[in-house]
Amino acid sequence: MPPFRSYLIRSGRVVDDVHKRPVTKVPTPGGPVVALGAVVGELAVFLLTGSLVPVAVGSAAAIAFAVGIYDDLKVLGGLTKPLLLVLAGVPLVLLYLVQPTLYNPVLTFPFLGDTAPHLTIYTILALAAFPIVANAFNMMDSFNGQISWFSLLVSLAVLFGVSLRTWYAGNAAPAQVASVLPLVGISLGFLVFNRYPSRVFDGDSGSLTFGAMFAALAVTCGVEIAAIVAIVPAILNSFYTLTSVRGFVERRKMTARPTYIGEDGRLYATDEPHTPNTLIRLILLDGPLDERQLVNSLLSLTVFACILSATISFMTWVL
Amino acid sequence: MKSAPVPLFLIEAVAFLMIIGETYFFFGVVVPLGPVPHNLETYTGYAGLKLLLTFGLGVSWFLVMLALTRLYVRTRLRHRTPKPSS
Repeated sequence: MPPFRSYLIRSGRVVDDVHKRPVTKVPTPGGPVVALGAVVGELAVFLLTGSLVPVAVGSAAAIAFAVGIYDDLKVLGGLTKPLLLVLAGVPLVLLYLVQPTLYNPVLTFPFLGDTAPHLTIYTILALAAFPIVANAFNMMDSFNGQISWFSLLVSLAVLFGVSLRTWYAGNAAPAQVASVLPLVGISLGFLVFNRYPSRVFDGDSGSLTFGAMFAALAVTCGVEIAAIVAIVPAILNSFYTLTSVRGFVERRKMTARPTYIGEDGRLYATDEPHTPNTLIRLILLDGPLDERQLVNSLLSLTVFACILSATISFMTWVL
Repeated sequence: MKSAPVPLFLIEAVAFLMIIGETYFFFGVVVPLGPVPHNLETYTGYAGLKLLLTFGLGVSWFLVMLALTRLYVRTRLRHRTPKPSS
């Protein structure tokens, strides 16, 4: 990352960190390094195990990165981006035709067990999951360290679920556990540079890569329920934003801002009635916070969701 | 570590329970609804019922989340003290 960061600074690819007083400049996008780490990691897992799971995950990461880097450089429309992100799920479906065990079109619930297989419905929902999850990750990328902490925590929750499924239920392969490790690794590695005060931002190319990898892992590793539960804060955040602005609007084109910085340097929730109701605004309605406190507050919701996810995994695969 | 307001944890817990319950209802009840008979009118009836139930699941999650959020926002705004202007 450091050489690429220097390159970004030299080429003038810096943006204002608007939540700092005085405003500082931060290089962006760091997404190319994130995506490179993801693809190389998944390629290594493929070479070691021969499984197609890392191929599906790596392909999803590469396609989501391509959509993200275009958005970073040219800016895509609010509806164009989610539509293009469906393409990230296409390799998964194509690889399923080659290897029908790539994913199992059932959901497994605690105590209730497996639902009946429904290939068509499951595949449609799996394709729809890519734009939904990737955009949910993208919307969790507003503050220093927010996306890297979030991605790290939820990937650990999925790793826990897949590990339990492999060792207790015996119906998952070690290759599936290994396929989660690159996501954990790049989240941890990126956190070093993205935590407060950020030395680099990932841009949409980074956050969409994280999200697409997460969606692909949830499907191929058969831990869909645990994965959905882990990202409930991101789902709620997307829900709040979409219902507030009534549709898909590119965030850079939103006129009303949900928060503002007071003269004391802390973040406040806006009182205006038509302000988008993001999760951040709901937290700040409880009182103003500085950026670090706000990210910690948001992470407490993610930690809670990950504990629920781990509980679901335990109840599903162990009990 | 600064924690989020408690009501947000409760909203998250409700969202979690509804997602689990509704996902099970969708895959366990709505999708296998049938068997689909060879009668076109009955087939259309089943298809319509499935669509209606799916739409109902989505709408109920949406409405519950919206109601809880509005209640939270209204309560918080009522207790807020004047803040510095932006």
